[in-house]
Amino acid sequence: MRIVGVDTGGTFTDFVLFEDGRVRVHKVLSTPTDPARAILQGLADLGIDRTVDVVVHGSTVATNAVLEHKGARTGLITTAGFRDVLEIGRQNRPKLYDLRQQKPPPLVPRELRLEVTERLDERGGVLVPLDQESVRAAIDRLQQAGVESVAVCLLFSFANPEHERIVAEAAERAGFFVSASHVVLPEFREYERTSTVALNAYVGPLMARYLSRLEQSLPRQTTVRIMQSNGGTISAATAGREAARTLLSGPAAGVVGAAYVAEASGFRRVISFDMGGTSTDVSLIDGAPTQTTEGKIGPYPMRLPMLDIHTVGAGGGSIAWFDAGGALRVGPLSTGADPGPAAYGRGGSEPTVSDANVVLGRLVPDAFLGGTMRLDAERARLAVRKIAERLGSSAEAAALGIVQIANANMEAAIRVISVERGYDPRDFTLVAFGGAGPLHACELAERLRIPRVLVPTTPGVLSALGMLATDIVKDYARTVMLRPDGRLEQIEPAFGALEERAMSELSAEGIAPGAIRLERFLDLRYVGQSYELTVPFEGSVASTVAAFHQVHERRYGYADEEEPVEVVNVRLRATGLISKPALERQPEPSPWRPEPSEKRPVTFEQAGEPMTCTAALYQRDRLGPGAVIAGPAIVTQYDTTTVLPPGWAARVDAVGNLIAERDTTGRESDDAR
Amino acid sequence: MRAEELVIDPVALEIFRSAMTAVAEEMGASLARSSYSPNIKERLDFSCALFDHTGRMVAQAAHIPAHLGSMPDSVATAIQQFPDFAPGDTVVLNDPFLGGNHLPDITMVSPIFVDLDGEQRLVGFAANRAHHADVGGMSPGSMPIATEIYQEGIIIPPIKLWERGELNRAAMALILRNVRTPEERRGDLAAQLAANRTGIRRVQELVSRYGLAQFRALCDALIAYAERITRATIAGIPDGVYRFTDYLDDDGVSEQPVPITATVTVQGSEMVVDFTGSAPERPGSINAVETVTKSAVYYVVRCLMPEDAPMNHGAFVPVRVIAPAGTVVNARPPRPVAGGNVETSQRIVDVVFGSLAQALPDVIPAASQGTMNNLTAGGIDPRSGRPFAYYETMGGGMGARPGLDGISGVHVHMSNTMNTPVEAFEYAYPMRITRYQLRDGSGGAGAARGGNGLIREILFLTESDVTLLTERRRLAPWGLHGGEPGSPGENVLQRASGETVRLRGKHRFTAQPGDRLTIHTPGGGGWGAAPASGR
Repeated sequence: MRIVGVDTGGTFTDFVLFEDGRVRVHKVLSTPTDPARAILQGLADLGIDRTVDVVVHGSTVATNAVLEHKGARTGLITTAGFRDVLEIGRQNRPKLYDLRQQKPPPLVPRELRLEVTERLDERGGVLVPLDQESVRAAIDRLQQAGVESVAVCLLFSFANPEHERIVAEAAERAGFFVSASHVVLPEFREYERTSTVALNAYVGPLMARYLSRLEQSLPRQTTVRIMQSNGGTISAATAGREAARTLLSGPAAGVVGAAYVAEASGFRRVISFDMGGTSTDVSLIDGAPTQTTEGKIGPYPMRLPMLDIHTVGAGGGSIAWFDAGGALRVGPLSTGADPGPAAYGRGGSEPTVSDANVVLGRLVPDAFLGGTMRLDAERARLAVRKIAERLGSSAEAAALGIVQIANANMEAAIRVISVERGYDPRDFTLVAFGGAGPLHACELAERLRIPRVLVPTTPGVLSALGMLATDIVKDYARTVMLRPDGRLEQIEPAFGALEERAMSELSAEGIAPGAIRLERFLDLRYVGQSYELTVPFEGSVASTVAAFHQVHERRYGYADEEEPVEVVNVRLRATGLISKPALERQPEPSPWRPEPSEKRPVTFEQAGEPMTCTAALYQRDRLGPGAVIAGPAIVTQYDTTTVLPPGWAARVDAVGNLIAERDTTGRESDDAR
Repeated sequence: MRAEELVIDPVALEIFRSAMTAVAEEMGASLARSSYSPNIKERLDFSCALFDHTGRMVAQAAHIPAHLGSMPDSVATAIQQFPDFAPGDTVVLNDPFLGGNHLPDITMVSPIFVDLDGEQRLVGFAANRAHHADVGGMSPGSMPIATEIYQEGIIIPPIKLWERGELNRAAMALILRNVRTPEERRGDLAAQLAANRTGIRRVQELVSRYGLAQFRALCDALIAYAERITRATIAGIPDGVYRFTDYLDDDGVSEQPVPITATVTVQGSEMVVDFTGSAPERPGSINAVETVTKSAVYYVVRCLMPEDAPMNHGAFVPVRVIAPAGTVVNARPPRPVAGGNVETSQRIVDVVFGSLAQALPDVIPAASQGTMNNLTAGGIDPRSGRPFAYYETMGGGMGARPGLDGISGVHVHMSNTMNTPVEAFEYAYPMRITRYQLRDGSGGAGAARGGNGLIREILFLTESDVTLLTERRRLAPWGLHGGEPGSPGENVLQRASGETVRLRGKHRFTAQPGDRLTIHTPGGGGWGAAPASGR
């Protein structure tokens, strides 16, 4: 069995091949005009282009189409009187105080938003029957306008899909790619539902074409599975129809990868920390990754379930600057990959977080990208000195300040997903990856009192690795809006209908009934509240409501068992279990102390002042299982650098993960100072 | 060690700023998610802020500009009324003449204590304010056309609703007995308390991280920092005296327009905004209390500052507001004030921007819709037999900017609340929305066009007591530099009988089942003369 995870990113396409219990890693340059080329190239390099059994793929095709406004020409059909809902949104302006702000253009321009005469009430009753003539007129108009894809979203269609179904069928007969809201997202709140369906219609045709091209260029027996934003996969055919489900697949795979490697080391409560050049993604895993239905793609709301990933604009390329009030700021402006930090020597001269790390001795100029690109320490120092002059400090003190501010920004991000949600970071392990994650992880953990940092063996390709660890997952939901004072018996039929659909769709994905796991959830709220909490269904509404009070208490600090609770949505998660590769494991490695390849001066903070000490330098590929090292130390590898501050110690465990913890023996390295 | 002896460097300042902002934001996240009123959750009509032990605002989560200047007044009043605070106390108030801005906005102020060597030390205050959907009074939704504040709802002077953690049940019962939807109020008040508790916990953690002396020094530094940014902003405006007058349509009692005049004096890094010459306070509910007027001025200054500038006590120091007592911009009791916060505040923004347009012609936009289009309705929901109280405000056209069209169908200036989704609305209330769209052609023409207003059409399914509190129905939002004005708004009632009536801007009526109310919100003014071909 040869299974390969393929993660198409902006610069590189990453491959992780799992074959006969062994993992192989490969990278090729991405080919943005035709991403499939890089994939075929990489498979050929690995020698599996004719023999691979399963390709699990995450791509940015759909995401880029949204962000660059290069999706299909899309029309919208909606209820008469409501075609502007997509443009008005929630009527709020994006920024409170910005006199020059603009709103993002709607995905479907006004002339392509058409209305049909019909209206349902909130229980799905017909107030105005569907006027077939208005349907024909709308479809004629869209055909004349040369539209390729059509989104259909009628008011209250989740309560009664009949009208919407008729419109969608008519549009399909007319030859459009059609996306209907009762299929994609049968949930109330018309703007968010319309936005989600419009996104799906906008990226669907591109995704379908891309995936069918990719499948055609692979051997006939190869199965292609596509990564979704919810951390599971679906077949390529489904991904073409429901492309909106794949919009954040790359970051989601990273979270799944973090959960997977941490679990191999015995940790199930994890905060994933992916710090790259321009941004940082953090996410909380409490046994399983956390889900949300309140995501956005760029500025557009997307309400399909996705992993709850919080992104901040702070990365290695973030620029340090002084604002009008004299505070030192880091980001959100970034040098990006081009020209990049001053240390890249490509013409950048602004001081960045990476430059600060060079000045502190933490980024090793000769070891960057496996030595293929040498960093220019002099340019980095020159850039950071601009900040130091204004601070009246040494370059080291300025660099330390830059790193500390970047860490404060990331600390705030981690607090949002942990403390704000009622979780204590002290109960978690920080899994650091991305080019810059392991550089900052230990100091960040210290600020948040996270006891442990885990750096995986292959931190640069964790998304591709995560793809190998996924199941087939499909999420279903429907708004039912049931008051506790009656009609609760409607819950069962609602679940039943979702389960029927789930079983038939998962069979179509080739999953045997015995390998299907169904999980029920209810979205609940106190009557009168306007947002809901998702709670696992406990067999009865009453016991689920009891659990709801507890969740409410943890998340918001209070609960009232006297208050009536209403059922807003029923949810179902259907999982087709797939056997996953197990990481290679050394039996009980005995501890050993590796020799550092060299020693170098590295600056840390002590009592508010920079303190330069001699740190040991190790190469990650020489640190086999059982290796034990003490801080201060730097561990370099091809695509990242791990910093171990004084007072920290790390060991390599049986699966190769580097586990860093505060050195409780109280003994610092002999090399300190 | 005295606090001012500690030197705060730009790095420590930035880290502290990030931490304090995160605390205020977390309070907001907690309040939004656990509150009951659609106003608070769906529409984010609330604010959260942190104060130092002397009552100076240190950080605020940006939600509603109308609360900018008035949160500090609430805390100042609480401190004045209660010289002795204990851990677990929470003061609640909505009295516009004692630290509030209008009655539906209920504020909670909680002292923050830390235990230092067995001694409880006051380190600051956590406060939040939220717009409740009903606080009693003569009409549901508590935004009536009134002639006395007593008609507007229950007045809560600063009281300790929680004392040492114990709820004052008598006071709570009194409040809940005076509102139309007590269960909802109870839930919202619980959410507000939970938000302050979050703020208290987080600030306590910060004090234990920094130590009390350093914490206080950092608060001082953050306030000084905001002041520097404001001064740099004002210094960028040419020195001079700029004056502008604009009008409210009327006060809802008479048809008389209500003039508001601002005289803005810029000198160096300081600004004085003097409202002398504005109309005397009126019988109708368009009177603003002074704190609302200050908020509107601070809002304008804030718009000229860098995007992520901090909002705290220091930001207001270089700005002086003169609002003569007894005028429509500084009303005295028992004048009604419900509309001062939502409508008059918008006109105050207009006159201050109108003045500054003379100093900064390439920066200041034309007038935006200049109203929040307040609509309240109440009655008994025939589906449940229970009372309902609905309050909503509506977006409109944003004024055109130099070289940039105004945005259509958005809230402008002093509000930024979200709409209630049609599908949430029809579950919650015995009404239907039959049309919701942009109002074509309502933005003023010009080199840059004003944004278009909205049309929202509501069908009543049961007898409802309806109040409209709307502006710019007669006097249009102005254009600048040759741009055309935007279209004024219109309120039209189509009776079930077929009769169509155009309603006044401020109007209360009983809707019958089958009646249809259509609100056309104003467009924004244009900027610059339209090219000959027309735009």
